[in-house]
Amino acid sequence: MSAVEEERAVCVGDRLGATDTYAAGEGVFVRDGFVIASVVGFQRLEAPPAAGEKPTIHVASRDTLPLVPKPGDIVTVKISRVAQTAAHALIMCVGRQALSTEFKGVIRQQDVRSTEIDRVVIYDCFRPGDIVRAEVVSLGDARSYYLSTAKNELGVVYARSATAGVAMVPTSWVTMQCPETQAVEKRKVAKLESLVTA
Amino acid sequence: MAAAALGKVVGPGDRVLDVPEQGTLRLSAGLTTHDGAVTSLKGGVLKSTRTGQLFLEGRQKRYIPAEGDVVVGVINDKHSENFTVDIGGPFNAVLPQLSFEGATRRNRPNLHPGDLVYARVVTAHRDTDPVLSCVDTAGRASGFGHLKEGMVLSCSSALARQLLGSPTAPVLEALGSGLQFELAVGLNGRVWLSAPTAATCVVVANAIAESEFRTPAQVRTMVARVLSRLG
Repeated sequence: MSAVEEERAVCVGDRLGATDTYAAGEGVFVRDGFVIASVVGFQRLEAPPAAGEKPTIHVASRDTLPLVPKPGDIVTVKISRVAQTAAHALIMCVGRQALSTEFKGVIRQQDVRSTEIDRVVIYDCFRPGDIVRAEVVSLGDARSYYLSTAKNELGVVYARSATAGVAMVPTSWVTMQCPETQAVEKRKVAKLESLVTA
Repeated sequence: MAAAALGKVVGPGDRVLDVPEQGTLRLSAGLTTHDGAVTSLKGGVLKSTRTGQLFLEGRQKRYIPAEGDVVVGVINDKHSENFTVDIGGPFNAVLPQLSFEGATRRNRPNLHPGDLVYARVVTAHRDTDPVLSCVDTAGRASGFGHLKEGMVLSCSSALARQLLGSPTAPVLEALGSGLQFELAVGLNGRVWLSAPTAATCVVVANAIAESEFRTPAQVRTMVARVLSRLG
Protein backbone atom coordinates (compact mmCIF):
# COMPACT_ATOMS: atom_id res chain seq x y z
CA MET A 1 0.00 0.00 0.00
CA SER A 2 1.32 3.44 -0.84
CA ALA A 3 1.71 5.90 2.01
CA VAL A 4 -1.27 8.19 2.66
CA GLU A 5 -0.68 11.75 1.35
CA GLU A 6 -2.03 14.87 2.98
CA GLU A 7 -4.75 16.95 1.26
CA ARG A 8 -5.19 14.54 -1.62
CA ALA A 9 -8.47 14.70 -3.53
CA VAL A 10 -10.25 11.39 -3.22
CA CYS A 11 -13.35 9.87 -4.72
CA VAL A 12 -15.95 7.53 -3.30
CA GLY A 13 -14.51 4.04 -3.08
CA ASP A 14 -10.84 5.04 -2.98
CA ARG A 15 -8.81 2.93 -0.57
CA LEU A 16 -7.04 5.31 1.80
CA GLY A 17 -5.13 3.00 4.11
CA ALA A 18 -5.18 -0.20 6.15
CA THR A 19 -7.11 -0.33 9.42
CA ASP A 20 -4.08 -1.64 11.32
CA THR A 21 -2.25 1.64 10.56
CA TYR A 22 -5.12 4.16 10.50
CA ALA A 23 -8.36 4.72 12.38
CA ALA A 24 -11.54 5.69 10.53
CA GLY A 25 -12.92 9.24 10.99
CA GLU A 26 -15.68 11.14 9.24
CA GLY A 27 -16.56 10.59 5.60
CA VAL A 28 -14.94 7.12 5.48
CA PHE A 29 -15.96 3.56 6.14
CA VAL A 30 -14.14 0.32 6.86
CA ARG A 31 -14.40 -2.76 4.63
CA ASP A 32 -12.15 -5.85 4.41
CA GLY A 33 -9.50 -4.29 6.62
CA PHE A 34 -9.22 -1.06 4.63
CA VAL A 35 -10.34 2.50 5.28
CA ILE A 36 -12.29 3.60 2.20
CA ALA A 37 -13.67 7.05 1.32
CA SER A 38 -17.45 7.38 1.29
CA VAL A 39 -17.71 10.96 0.03
CA VAL A 40 -15.92 13.00 -2.60
CA GLY A 41 -13.48 15.47 -1.02
CA PHE A 42 -10.10 16.11 0.42
CA GLN A 43 -8.44 13.59 2.67
CA ARG A 44 -7.11 14.85 5.97
CA LEU A 45 -4.96 13.12 8.57
CA GLU A 46 -5.57 13.82 12.22
CA ALA A 47 -2.81 13.14 14.72
CA PRO A 48 -3.49 10.30 17.18
CA PRO A 49 -5.27 11.50 20.38
CA ALA A 50 -2.75 9.71 22.61
CA ALA A 51 0.67 8.23 22.01
CA GLY A 52 0.57 4.69 20.72
CA GLU A 53 -2.82 5.06 19.00
CA LYS A 54 -3.48 5.28 15.32
CA PRO A 55 -3.87 8.53 13.36
CA THR A 56 -7.39 9.15 12.04
CA ILE A 57 -8.29 9.69 8.38
CA HIS A 58 -11.14 12.08 7.56
CA VAL A 59 -12.54 12.96 4.16
CA ALA A 60 -14.32 16.28 3.88
CA SER A 61 -15.35 18.53 1.04
CA ARG A 62 -14.73 22.26 1.13
CA ASP A 63 -12.68 22.46 4.30
CA THR A 64 -15.46 21.59 6.71
CA LEU A 65 -16.43 18.23 8.11
CA PRO A 66 -19.93 17.18 7.01
CA LEU A 67 -22.08 18.12 9.94
CA VAL A 68 -25.27 16.27 10.76
CA PRO A 69 -27.05 16.38 14.12
CA LYS A 70 -26.54 13.26 16.25
CA PRO A 71 -28.31 12.18 19.42
CA GLY A 72 -26.79 14.08 22.30
CA ASP A 73 -25.82 17.20 20.34
CA ILE A 74 -26.89 20.61 21.63
CA VAL A 75 -28.51 22.39 18.69
CA THR A 76 -29.88 25.87 18.05
CA VAL A 77 -33.28 25.83 16.39
CA LYS A 78 -35.86 28.31 15.19
CA ILE A 79 -39.48 27.44 15.89
CA SER A 80 -41.48 27.32 12.66
CA ARG A 81 -44.91 26.11 13.78
CA VAL A 82 -46.62 25.51 17.08
CA ALA A 83 -49.34 22.88 17.43
CA GLN A 84 -51.24 21.50 20.41
CA THR A 85 -48.94 18.57 21.09
CA ALA A 86 -45.60 19.59 19.59
CA ALA A 87 -43.53 22.49 18.36
CA HIS A 88 -41.91 22.15 14.93
CA ALA A 89 -38.49 23.71 14.44
CA LEU A 90 -35.70 24.16 11.90
CA ILE A 91 -32.25 23.12 13.14
CA MET A 92 -29.83 25.90 12.23
CA CYS A 93 -26.65 25.19 14.22
CA VAL A 94 -25.05 22.17 15.82
CA GLY A 95 -22.96 23.26 18.77
CA ARG A 96 -21.08 26.35 17.65
CA GLN A 97 -21.17 25.55 13.96
CA ALA A 98 -23.87 26.72 11.54
CA LEU A 99 -25.32 24.14 9.19
CA SER A 100 -25.40 24.69 5.45
CA THR A 101 -28.67 22.78 5.11
CA GLU A 102 -31.56 23.08 7.55
CA PHE A 103 -32.87 19.96 9.19
CA LYS A 104 -36.34 19.65 10.66
CA GLY A 105 -36.84 18.91 14.32
CA VAL A 106 -39.84 18.56 16.59
CA ILE A 107 -40.13 19.22 20.32
CA ARG A 108 -42.92 17.01 21.62
CA GLN A 109 -45.11 17.92 24.56
CA GLN A 110 -43.44 15.35 26.83
CA ASP A 111 -39.95 16.62 25.96
CA VAL A 112 -40.45 20.29 26.83
CA ARG A 113 -39.62 20.02 30.52
CA SER A 114 -38.94 17.31 33.06
CA THR A 115 -41.75 18.00 35.56
CA GLU A 116 -45.55 17.71 35.00
CA ILE A 117 -45.03 16.71 31.41
CA ASP A 118 -48.70 15.93 30.74
CA ARG A 119 -49.84 19.44 31.71
CA VAL A 120 -47.57 21.29 29.31
CA VAL A 121 -49.26 23.92 27.10
CA ILE A 122 -46.97 24.30 24.11
CA TYR A 123 -48.26 27.80 23.33
CA ASP A 124 -47.02 28.96 26.78
CA CYS A 125 -43.54 27.59 26.08
CA PHE A 126 -42.70 28.44 22.47
CA ARG A 127 -44.01 30.71 19.74
CA PRO A 128 -43.16 30.78 16.02
CA GLY A 129 -39.95 32.70 15.42
CA ASP A 130 -38.33 31.94 18.80
CA ILE A 131 -34.70 30.82 18.87
CA VAL A 132 -34.40 27.79 21.13
CA ARG A 133 -31.48 25.78 22.47
CA ALA A 134 -32.38 22.08 22.46
CA GLU A 135 -30.80 18.67 22.66
CA VAL A 136 -31.22 16.00 20.00
CA VAL A 137 -32.90 13.01 21.60
CA SER A 138 -33.03 10.68 18.63
CA LEU A 139 -33.09 10.57 14.85
CA GLY A 140 -36.87 10.64 15.13
CA ASP A 141 -39.18 9.70 12.28
CA ALA A 142 -38.85 10.19 8.54
CA ARG A 143 -39.71 13.86 8.77
CA SER A 144 -37.87 15.29 11.75
CA TYR A 145 -35.39 14.79 14.56
CA TYR A 146 -36.83 14.52 18.06
CA LEU A 147 -35.58 17.36 20.24
CA SER A 148 -35.82 17.99 23.95
CA THR A 149 -35.62 21.09 26.15
CA ALA A 150 -36.04 19.18 29.40
CA LYS A 151 -33.02 20.69 31.15
CA ASN A 152 -32.51 24.02 32.87
CA GLU A 153 -29.99 25.27 30.33
CA LEU A 154 -32.25 24.42 27.38
CA GLY A 155 -35.16 26.49 26.15
CA VAL A 156 -35.88 29.86 24.55
CA VAL A 157 -32.82 32.10 24.25
CA TYR A 158 -34.24 34.83 22.01
CA ALA A 159 -37.82 35.85 21.37
CA ARG A 160 -39.56 38.91 19.99
CA SER A 161 -42.67 40.28 21.64
CA ALA A 162 -46.00 39.74 19.92
CA THR A 163 -47.12 43.37 19.87
CA ALA A 164 -43.99 45.51 19.57
CA GLY A 165 -41.70 43.02 17.81
CA VAL A 166 -38.64 43.89 19.93
CA ALA A 167 -36.38 41.38 21.67
CA MET A 168 -37.79 40.42 25.04
CA VAL A 169 -35.89 40.25 28.32
CA PRO A 170 -36.22 37.06 30.42
CA THR A 171 -37.74 37.74 33.84
CA SER A 172 -38.02 34.18 35.15
CA TRP A 173 -37.73 30.64 33.90
CA VAL A 174 -41.28 30.82 32.56
CA THR A 175 -41.73 34.47 31.58
CA MET A 176 -40.19 37.11 29.34
CA GLN A 177 -41.04 40.80 29.27
CA CYS A 178 -41.10 43.26 26.41
CA PRO A 179 -39.00 46.36 27.27
CA GLU A 180 -41.27 48.69 25.27
CA THR A 181 -44.81 47.70 26.22
CA GLN A 182 -43.99 46.01 29.56
CA ALA A 183 -46.18 43.11 28.41
CA VAL A 184 -45.24 39.78 29.96
CA GLU A 185 -45.30 36.67 27.80
CA LYS A 186 -44.84 33.07 28.80
CA ARG A 187 -41.99 31.01 27.43
CA LYS A 188 -39.80 28.11 28.57
CA VAL A 189 -36.67 30.19 29.14
CA ALA A 190 -33.15 28.69 29.02
CA LYS A 191 -30.97 29.18 32.09
CA LEU A 192 -27.80 30.53 30.44
CA GLU A 193 -24.70 31.27 32.55
CA SER A 194 -24.83 34.93 31.50
CA LEU A 195 -28.30 35.32 33.01
CA VAL A 196 -27.64 33.82 36.42
CA THR A 197 -26.59 36.57 38.83
CA ALA A 198 -24.55 35.62 41.90
CA MET B 1 -65.75 58.31 30.68
CA ALA B 2 -65.62 54.88 29.17
CA ALA B 3 -69.38 54.67 29.36
CA ALA B 4 -69.72 57.99 27.58
CA ALA B 5 -67.69 56.70 24.64
CA LEU B 6 -69.84 53.61 24.12
CA GLY B 7 -71.59 53.60 20.79
CA LYS B 8 -68.95 55.83 19.22
CA VAL B 9 -68.09 54.94 15.63
CA VAL B 10 -64.34 54.95 14.95
CA GLY B 11 -62.02 54.23 12.06
CA PRO B 12 -58.67 52.43 12.25
CA GLY B 13 -56.06 54.44 14.12
CA ASP B 14 -58.50 56.80 15.84
CA ARG B 15 -58.07 57.85 19.47
CA VAL B 16 -61.07 56.35 21.18
CA LEU B 17 -60.66 57.69 24.69
CA ASP B 18 -57.85 58.69 27.04
CA VAL B 19 -56.55 56.17 29.52
CA PRO B 20 -57.96 57.27 32.90
CA GLU B 21 -55.60 58.06 35.75
CA GLN B 22 -57.13 55.49 38.05
CA GLY B 23 -59.11 52.32 37.71
CA THR B 24 -58.71 49.53 35.19
CA LEU B 25 -59.72 49.32 31.57
CA ARG B 26 -60.13 45.93 29.98
CA LEU B 27 -59.64 45.98 26.23
CA SER B 28 -60.64 43.25 23.87
CA ALA B 29 -60.91 42.79 20.09
CA GLY B 30 -59.72 45.69 17.99
CA LEU B 31 -58.42 47.99 20.74
CA THR B 32 -54.94 48.73 21.97
CA THR B 33 -53.16 51.46 23.92
CA HIS B 34 -50.80 53.91 22.25
CA ASP B 35 -49.34 57.14 23.66
CA GLY B 36 -51.60 57.17 26.70
CA ALA B 37 -54.85 56.77 24.77
CA VAL B 38 -56.94 53.83 23.76
CA THR B 39 -56.58 53.49 19.98
CA SER B 40 -58.63 51.46 17.54
CA LEU B 41 -57.06 48.85 15.28
CA LYS B 42 -60.00 48.50 12.93
CA GLY B 43 -63.20 50.32 12.04
CA GLY B 44 -66.29 49.74 14.15
CA VAL B 45 -68.59 50.71 16.97
CA LEU B 46 -67.31 50.78 20.55
CA LYS B 47 -69.26 48.34 22.69
CA SER B 48 -68.92 46.70 26.06
CA THR B 49 -69.59 43.10 27.05
CA ARG B 50 -71.66 42.13 30.07
CA THR B 51 -68.48 41.70 32.08
CA GLY B 52 -67.18 45.16 31.23
CA GLN B 53 -64.65 44.47 28.49
CA LEU B 54 -64.49 47.11 25.78
CA PHE B 55 -64.38 45.93 22.18
CA LEU B 56 -64.94 47.18 18.69
CA GLU B 57 -67.71 45.63 16.68
CA GLY B 58 -67.12 45.97 12.99
CA ARG B 59 -68.53 44.25 9.95
CA GLN B 60 -65.91 41.90 8.56
CA LYS B 61 -66.16 39.02 6.19
CA ARG B 62 -63.19 37.01 7.42
CA TYR B 63 -63.79 35.24 10.71
CA ILE B 64 -61.00 35.39 13.31
CA PRO B 65 -61.65 32.78 16.03
CA ALA B 66 -61.81 33.94 19.63
CA GLU B 67 -62.14 31.98 22.84
CA GLY B 68 -65.75 31.37 23.81
CA ASP B 69 -67.26 31.77 20.35
CA VAL B 70 -69.78 29.26 19.03
CA VAL B 71 -69.20 28.15 15.46
CA VAL B 72 -70.67 25.94 12.75
CA GLY B 73 -67.85 23.88 11.26
CA VAL B 74 -67.38 21.32 8.49
CA ILE B 75 -65.31 18.21 9.25
CA ASN B 76 -62.37 18.02 6.85
CA ASP B 77 -60.40 15.07 8.13
CA LYS B 78 -60.50 12.35 10.75
CA HIS B 79 -57.25 11.55 12.59
CA SER B 80 -56.56 9.06 15.35
CA GLU B 81 -57.22 11.47 18.21
CA ASN B 82 -59.12 14.41 16.71
CA PHE B 83 -60.98 15.86 13.73
CA THR B 84 -59.80 18.73 11.54
CA VAL B 85 -62.66 21.19 11.16
CA ASP B 86 -63.00 24.06 8.71
CA ILE B 87 -64.51 27.04 10.52
CA GLY B 88 -63.74 29.64 7.90
CA GLY B 89 -60.85 31.17 9.82
CA PRO B 90 -57.15 31.48 8.90
CA PHE B 91 -56.36 28.01 10.29
CA ASN B 92 -58.41 24.84 10.37
CA ALA B 93 -59.49 23.99 13.89
CA VAL B 94 -58.86 20.84 15.88
CA LEU B 95 -61.78 19.03 17.54
CA PRO B 96 -60.67 16.23 19.90
CA GLN B 97 -62.67 13.03 19.48
CA LEU B 98 -63.26 12.86 23.21
CA SER B 99 -64.88 16.30 23.40
CA PHE B 100 -68.36 14.94 22.79
CA GLU B 101 -70.95 13.98 25.37
CA GLY B 102 -70.59 10.33 26.32
CA ALA B 103 -67.45 9.80 24.23
CA THR B 104 -64.82 7.42 25.55
CA ARG B 105 -61.81 5.80 23.94
CA ARG B 106 -63.98 2.84 22.97
CA ASN B 107 -67.07 4.81 22.03
CA ARG B 108 -65.99 7.46 19.53
CA PRO B 109 -68.30 9.85 17.64
CA ASN B 110 -69.35 8.56 14.26
CA LEU B 111 -68.52 11.62 12.15
CA HIS B 112 -67.11 11.71 8.63
CA PRO B 113 -65.53 14.35 6.41
CA GLY B 114 -68.32 16.61 5.17
CA ASP B 115 -70.44 16.46 8.33
CA LEU B 116 -71.50 19.65 10.07
CA VAL B 117 -70.84 20.28 13.75
CA TYR B 118 -71.86 23.00 16.17
CA ALA B 119 -68.99 23.61 18.57
CA ARG B 120 -67.52 26.21 20.88
CA VAL B 121 -63.97 27.54 20.61
CA VAL B 122 -61.94 26.49 23.63
CA THR B 123 -58.60 28.08 22.79
CA ALA B 124 -57.74 30.42 19.94
CA HIS B 125 -54.30 31.99 19.66
CA ARG B 126 -52.69 33.97 16.92
CA ASP B 127 -50.13 31.38 15.93
CA THR B 128 -51.75 28.00 16.51
CA ASP B 129 -54.76 26.03 15.37
CA PRO B 130 -57.92 26.79 17.37
CA VAL B 131 -59.24 23.98 19.53
CA LEU B 132 -62.99 23.26 19.58
CA SER B 133 -65.23 21.29 21.87
CA CYS B 134 -68.72 19.83 21.44
CA VAL B 135 -69.47 19.87 25.16
CA ASP B 136 -69.85 22.83 27.47
CA THR B 137 -67.61 23.35 30.49
CA ALA B 138 -69.76 21.06 32.61
CA GLY B 139 -69.50 18.18 30.14
CA ARG B 140 -73.03 18.30 28.73
CA ALA B 141 -73.89 18.55 25.05
CA SER B 142 -76.03 21.74 25.37
CA GLY B 143 -76.95 21.78 21.71
CA PHE B 144 -73.41 21.20 20.47
CA GLY B 145 -72.53 18.25 18.28
CA HIS B 146 -73.44 16.82 14.92
CA LEU B 147 -75.94 18.83 12.84
CA LYS B 148 -77.89 16.43 10.69
CA GLU B 149 -79.48 17.38 7.36
CA GLY B 150 -80.56 20.95 6.77
CA MET B 151 -78.68 23.68 4.90
CA VAL B 152 -76.04 26.29 5.72
CA LEU B 153 -76.46 30.00 5.01
CA SER B 154 -73.46 32.35 4.88
CA CYS B 155 -73.79 35.69 6.55
CA SER B 156 -71.59 38.41 8.01
CA SER B 157 -70.30 38.23 11.57
CA ALA B 158 -72.41 41.24 12.54
CA LEU B 159 -75.65 39.54 11.49
CA ALA B 160 -74.61 36.36 13.33
CA ARG B 161 -74.06 38.40 16.50
CA GLN B 162 -77.48 40.02 16.08
CA LEU B 163 -79.15 36.63 15.70
CA LEU B 164 -77.43 35.34 18.82
CA GLY B 165 -78.13 38.41 20.89
CA SER B 166 -80.67 38.68 23.64
CA PRO B 167 -83.45 39.90 23.35
CA THR B 168 -84.28 37.56 20.47
CA ALA B 169 -83.71 39.08 17.06
CA PRO B 170 -87.01 40.39 15.59
CA VAL B 171 -86.69 38.31 12.43
CA LEU B 172 -86.46 35.07 14.41
CA GLU B 173 -89.38 35.98 16.63
CA ALA B 174 -91.56 36.85 13.66
CA LEU B 175 -90.63 33.72 11.71
CA GLY B 176 -91.01 31.49 14.75
CA SER B 177 -94.60 32.54 15.27
CA GLY B 178 -95.62 31.21 11.86
CA LEU B 179 -93.15 28.50 10.85
CA GLN B 180 -91.47 25.48 12.35
CA PHE B 181 -87.71 25.31 11.91
CA GLU B 182 -84.47 24.65 13.75
CA LEU B 183 -81.42 26.82 13.51
CA ALA B 184 -77.88 27.01 14.84
CA VAL B 185 -76.00 30.28 14.47
CA GLY B 186 -72.22 30.28 14.27
CA LEU B 187 -70.25 33.46 14.93
CA ASN B 188 -68.07 32.47 11.99
CA GLY B 189 -70.81 33.73 9.69
CA ARG B 190 -72.56 30.41 9.11
CA VAL B 191 -76.15 29.68 10.03
CA TRP B 192 -77.46 26.11 9.89
CA LEU B 193 -81.19 25.73 9.15
CA SER B 194 -83.37 22.70 9.18
CA ALA B 195 -87.13 22.52 8.56
CA PRO B 196 -89.70 19.83 7.66
CA THR B 197 -89.96 21.11 4.08
CA ALA B 198 -87.41 22.61 1.72
CA ALA B 199 -89.75 25.55 1.01
CA THR B 200 -89.74 26.56 4.70
CA CYS B 201 -85.94 26.36 4.76
CA VAL B 202 -85.63 28.66 1.76
CA VAL B 203 -88.14 31.15 3.16
CA VAL B 204 -86.34 31.33 6.50
CA ALA B 205 -82.92 31.68 4.85
CA ASN B 206 -84.07 34.52 2.61
CA ALA B 207 -85.81 36.29 5.46
CA ILE B 208 -82.72 36.15 7.66
CA ALA B 209 -80.47 37.39 4.87
CA GLU B 210 -82.82 40.30 4.12
CA SER B 211 -83.19 41.33 7.72
CA GLU B 212 -79.65 42.53 8.28
CA PHE B 213 -80.09 46.20 7.44
CA ARG B 214 -83.80 46.64 8.20
CA THR B 215 -85.34 48.10 11.32
CA PRO B 216 -87.42 45.79 13.52
CA ALA B 217 -90.66 47.25 12.19
CA GLN B 218 -89.62 46.71 8.58
CA VAL B 219 -88.55 43.18 9.43
CA ARG B 220 -91.93 42.37 10.96
CA THR B 221 -93.79 43.73 7.91
CA MET B 222 -91.58 41.74 5.56
CA VAL B 223 -92.05 38.49 7.48
CA ALA B 224 -95.80 39.00 7.74
CA ARG B 225 -95.99 39.48 3.97
CA VAL B 226 -93.96 36.35 3.32
CA LEU B 227 -95.98 34.22 5.73
CA SER B 228 -99.27 35.36 4.26
CA ARG B 229 -98.08 34.41 0.79
CA LEU B 230 -97.07 30.99 2.03
CA GLY B 231 -100.65 30.45 3.06
